[in-house]
Formats: sequence, C-alpha cells, structure tokens
Amino acid sequence: MSIDGQPTTGPDAAGTPAAASAPAHRRAVIVGGNRIPFARSGGAYAKSSNQDMLTAALDGLIARFGLQDERIGEVAAGAVLKHSRDFNLTREAVLGSALSPETPAYDLQQACATGLETVVGLTNKIKLGQIESAIAGGVDSASDAPVVVSEGLREVILDLNRAKSLPQRLQILSRLRPKDLAPLAPGTSEPRTGLSMGEHQALTTAQWKIPREAQDEVALNSHRNLAAAYDAGFFDDLLTPYRGLTRDGNLRPDTSLVKLATLKPVFGKNLGADATMTAGNSTPLTDGASTVLLSSEEWADSRDLPKLAAVVDAEAAAVDFVHGKDGLLMAPVFAVPRLLSRHGLTLDDIDFFEIHEAFASTVLSMLAAWEDEEFGRTRLGLQGAFGKVDRSKLNVTGSSLAAGHPFAATGGRIVASLAKTLHEKAGAEGRPVRGLVSVCAAGGLGVAAILESL
Amino acid sequence: MMPAQPVILGEMPSLSKLYVNAAAPAARRRLLGTHDGSVLPAESHEVRGVTVDVGNLTAYQHLIGETASDVLPAGFIHALAFPLAMSVLNRDDFPLPLLGMIHLRNSVEQRSPVLFTDALDITAHVENLRGHRAGTQVDVVAEVRLAGTADISWRGTSTYLAKGVFLPGIDKPSAATVRTDFTAPDPTGLWQLGVDTGRAYAAVSGDFNPIHLSVLSAKALGMRRSIAHGMYLAARALADVGAVRGDSFIWDVDFEAPVFLPCRVALDISTVQGTAGTWERSDFAAWNPRSGRRHFNGSVRSF
Repeated sequence: MSIDGQPTTGPDAAGTPAAASAPAHRRAVIVGGNRIPFARSGGAYAKSSNQDMLTAALDGLIARFGLQDERIGEVAAGAVLKHSRDFNLTREAVLGSALSPETPAYDLQQACATGLETVVGLTNKIKLGQIESAIAGGVDSASDAPVVVSEGLREVILDLNRAKSLPQRLQILSRLRPKDLAPLAPGTSEPRTGLSMGEHQALTTAQWKIPREAQDEVALNSHRNLAAAYDAGFFDDLLTPYRGLTRDGNLRPDTSLVKLATLKPVFGKNLGADATMTAGNSTPLTDGASTVLLSSEEWADSRDLPKLAAVVDAEAAAVDFVHGKDGLLMAPVFAVPRLLSRHGLTLDDIDFFEIHEAFASTVLSMLAAWEDEEFGRTRLGLQGAFGKVDRSKLNVTGSSLAAGHPFAATGGRIVASLAKTLHEKAGAEGRPVRGLVSVCAAGGLGVAAILESL
Repeated sequence: MMPAQPVILGEMPSLSKLYVNAAAPAARRRLLGTHDGSVLPAESHEVRGVTVDVGNLTAYQHLIGETASDVLPAGFIHALAFPLAMSVLNRDDFPLPLLGMIHLRNSVEQRSPVLFTDALDITAHVENLRGHRAGTQVDVVAEVRLAGTADISWRGTSTYLAKGVFLPGIDKPSAATVRTDFTAPDPTGLWQLGVDTGRAYAAVSGDFNPIHLSVLSAKALGMRRSIAHGMYLAARALADVGAVRGDSFIWDVDFEAPVFLPCRVALDISTVQGTAGTWERSDFAAWNPRSGRRHFNGSVRSF
C-alpha cells in the first residue's frame, strides 16, 4: 500500500457541488438525545435483544421530551448484527414504544456509520420540508448476535420444503453431513479479504508507523475524558439507566499508561515487532443503543424544546481497500476534506472534533495522513498537508475506546454528545461554535458531518 | 375485613415445597377440605425486601411478548407474589381444599411503575369467602409496596373457586351470573400455542402446577390434556395492548373456558377512546377459532 502514485481525487475532483451553488434549505436541528449506557458484550445486556435496547433508548427519549402519543415524522435506526426476523426492527421498536403507532419508521444499515447516516438522511428530509420531526438511532448487540445455520443445512432445509415425495426427502436428507449441523456465529472479517477489522487496521497502523505509546495515550484520554464528563454530570440528560447500568460498563476511570502498557498485542501479531494494537487501545465488543431527536426549528419552538445544534452538511466516502490502496478504515480521511472544502472551511475552523475511535490507531492514522505533505498533494489534491487537528479539541467527552462501540449506536452517541458540547460552549463564549463528526466503517466506508451550535 | 397482625416470613416461600406439602399425608386433611370451619384466616402473610432476578425478568418479558424494559410487567409481579399467596391458602385454618381450585377472575391495579432494581415488601391475605353456583369462591389479595414505604404500587385480587365445595353458613348466590352470549368478532390476532406453552410459562413464573406441564401430569389431576396458565394468557393480552396503557392501569380478566394445548387462540383487542380522543380502555377477548367458544375476556384501563 502506498500513499503516492495516485492521481488527484481531491475535493473538487469528486464532482461535489461548490458551496455557492448549494440551495438554501431550512435548518434541521438536534433537540437532544438519549442512549442507554453501553455494556461490555456478555455483560448487563447479555439477554437483551436489539429491539429491547432500542425501545429502552427510545422510551427514555420520549419521556425526556414529552413525546408520548406523538406522531413523529419518521424514525430511522438500524443494527449491524441483525437477525433476519428483525427486518422491521425500528418499526417494531416504535410499536413497542410510547410514540403514536402512526409514526413511520425504516431500517438502515451502513456498518458502523449506520447511526450517523440515519441522522444525515433524516435531517435531509427535514431540510427539504418532507417531515418536521424525526428520531435517528442505532443499536447493536454483540451478545445476542444472530447465529445462522451452515450453508449445507440451509440448502437441505430449503430443498426439503420443495420436495414432493418421501424418497425425494430421504435423498435430500442423505446429503446432510455432521459438519453441516454446526452453527455459524457472525464474524467481523471483511468478506473480500478474510482479514478482521483489527488485522486490517494493523496494516494501516504499521504503514503510518503509529507507535504503541501514542495509541495508549489516545485510549487513556478517552477514559479520562469520559470519566470527567460523567463526573461533571454531562450525561445526566443524555442517558437513561438500563438493566442496572448507570455508566458505560467499559469505562475504566483509573486506567493508566502503565496499566495499558502491560497489555499484549492482539492484532497484527504476524507483523512481528510492529504489533502495537492491544485490547486497551482497541474498542471491545459492546451492547447498547442510542437515539437523537431531530426537527425543524418551528417544530422545536412550538413545543418549547431546546435547539442544541444544526446539522449543516455531511459527506460519505469510500476507499479501495481490497488490494491495499488505502486502509480499510481510512475513508473519513477523504470525506472530511471534501466536506470542509464545500463550505470553505479548514481544520482550524473546527472547535470540536469527534473522530470515532474504532481503534486508537485509526484516529492517529487519519491525523497522520492529514499532516502528511505528500498525501495531501497526491491523494487529496491539495497544495500540501490538509492540516493538523488540535488534540485538545478532540473527543473531549471521551469516545469509543472508553464508552465502547455498539456498532450502529455509536453515531447517535456522538451526535447527541457533540450537539450538547457545542451548545454549552456557544453559550459560554457567546459565539457560534462548529463541530466535526467522523465515523469509519467496514467495507472501506466513512461518513463525516458538520454540526453548528444554535 | 381488615387483616390482623401480619405473619412475617423470613423469605419468599418455595412453591415447590408448598405443592409437595400439599401432597404429603399430613396435609391431606387440608388438601381434601375436611376443615370444618367457614371462616377465613384473618392474618396476612408478608415478606419484606423481595428482589427480582433480572435474567428471570428478561425471560418472562420475552416469553409473553413484552419489551425487556426495566419496569416489571404487572403479570410478573403477580408471579412474584404468588408463592406468598399460596402460603396463605396452605394454612391449616384455610377452609377450602387447595387442590383443584379454579382461577375465575383476576384484577390488578398497577398504581405506579415498579422497577426491577426496587426491593419490595409483599403482603397477601384472603377475603370475601362467598358462595358460587358451583361451589365456594374466595379472593386472594396481594399488595406490593416499595420496601419500607406505605403506598401500594401494585394490588392484585385473584378469585378462586373451590368447585363442589359447599361450606356451612355460606349461601349459594340467589341468581347465577347471567352468561352473556358471545359471538366471535373478526380477530385482530391469532396465537399459536405449542404443547410446551405451559412448561415455558412454568419456567419463567416458577409456578410448576402439574395441570400446565404435560398431558400425563394433567391427566393425573383429572384434566384430559394440559392447559395454558391463565396468567400467561392474560399477560400476553396485556402485552398486546401495548404501551398505550401507560405506567398505571387496571387490568381485569375473567377466565371462562380452559385453553387445552396445543391450540390456536383467536384474539380481539378493541380500543375505547374518550371524548378527547385519548385512550380510555382496551377490551380484549380470546376464543377458540374452531368452536367459537370464548376462553377469557377482560380489559385494561387507566388507573
């Protein structure tokens, strides 16, 4: 994998409209959010289904903003690990909630970007005037994951359904082999490479030469910032306890660089001395759900509800990771420059960065790419490096390394927390404040969004 | 009748012990109702600081179709209090035979939501011993308070019939209750109840009454097949009514004909709206879709 030798695919080359030509739409605002604390896989939510958790997060949001019996414009959510019986997961959660049963809903799935993409899609509908209010969300359970039957057993069952006679049935059954009876649990391997997400990131980590100590420091800051936010009461109006958890189960307020340094590498071990990714600087498998209430300004005003921030714009990107042109989780590296350029902004114009910590080294690889002169010129089509992220503005209330990462629920966690951070900062400083969200996802996907305080 | 000083039990009595006790020779007198009194015990039984096993709660919620929220379903509280209620019926001075009592009616007032993290004080007593055209009926009342508080969060009244038992001094009611004719409406739902329905409910409720467990165990007690537990059926109807019921409600059910397993049960839930267009009540009825015979009916309304 190399970062050079590729013609420009910069902001202007992608064919995205320039800021000047963008039509003026009305605003879509973030009213607030609610999530349940995230639990480590096999922990407090081990027996709770995706529908249970999404409904719990939704009912907390409904209670917080008085939405009982309200017909919301649309609810969109999703899960990455989803059973086929949950084809209408979000609609079922709505039907089980205190919302009006006449609230429409749809499911969305874009790997780890699911939650953020529900925010993007719904705010676009609000901006277009199609709906006045919306709830975006996401949920995932690594504990209650669907287990499927083997391909051999599946084919036998389907053929048996079609068989007309007993001899036919017996003949079909005779195809069954003992190995066909073993169930298959879902994996996190990329279908096209067979490498797990961690193994993919280990390649990127080595390519950008991200040291172990820097990764542990990102993890430490994540835990410290999240713990401090809890202590300051930041999550009091962003979270509803569930199944006995009142804080994220993965949070380790007392962790230290010394403790993190003792952990053995778990990914990239075939890379020998370069193996730097541990259970401490990688996100654990997690269960949880999040929701965000979105609306037009009029809708929020008419109900005397807060308007924390506006969703200004968003950009999706994808990278050609299959044969290593870019790292699997590096798509936001391209999404963010395109998005900022469309608005005539640079990294210096951002007050708060929320870069999803799939792995500590994912964040650091992105920052390294943006600081790299050659990458900026050859891959981003810029004069030089894209820029430097002020680390004091990064993930200030903690991120996925500390909170955990129930795949589809992460977007909602980030958007609600960032909107609140922007609102508080704008109130304290008496000026508009801007935030950037970046979420990487399996399949070489990435989504970024700009939020602005109100 | 105000209950006298409560009998405070150190822990929730074990249902299986109560059932075994009921079958032991020493309990035969009690079991066969040779007690000669016509007076109910005045004492209530009480257990303090009862806590809920969250795994059991989740299994219950999933079985009856409730979302696994932190709020205890009203039917779950019934199951929680049931062993205590049974311990009152198992007293030496309880005048009716325990075996073969039929659950006629159940009424629950869910006055305020109870969370699984709440410790609970539970009391149970019996009252209102009265005649029935087919025997003698009695109300078993259970009350649930948050531990150490006075306000009742949940109150359940279960009416049981001791069929064929007529006690001295207890008159038959002058007029038998008029059975309303039932014409099955178009169903709003259909339940497919497998033969394991009784066992599945026993596993989450702890009520291993043999008439629900298997054909054999039911036959041993004179039933032709095992039957679904009434509180399982009523709890599923309550779950079907859904979140519209809110946090506090009254949930009534009249059991009419047993549901023999396996079977299909047709269900109708109709919403009654108040003048302001808000929810006032949901009525439910369930019947055998082949015979048209009604199994049970009831309603959920705001408290």
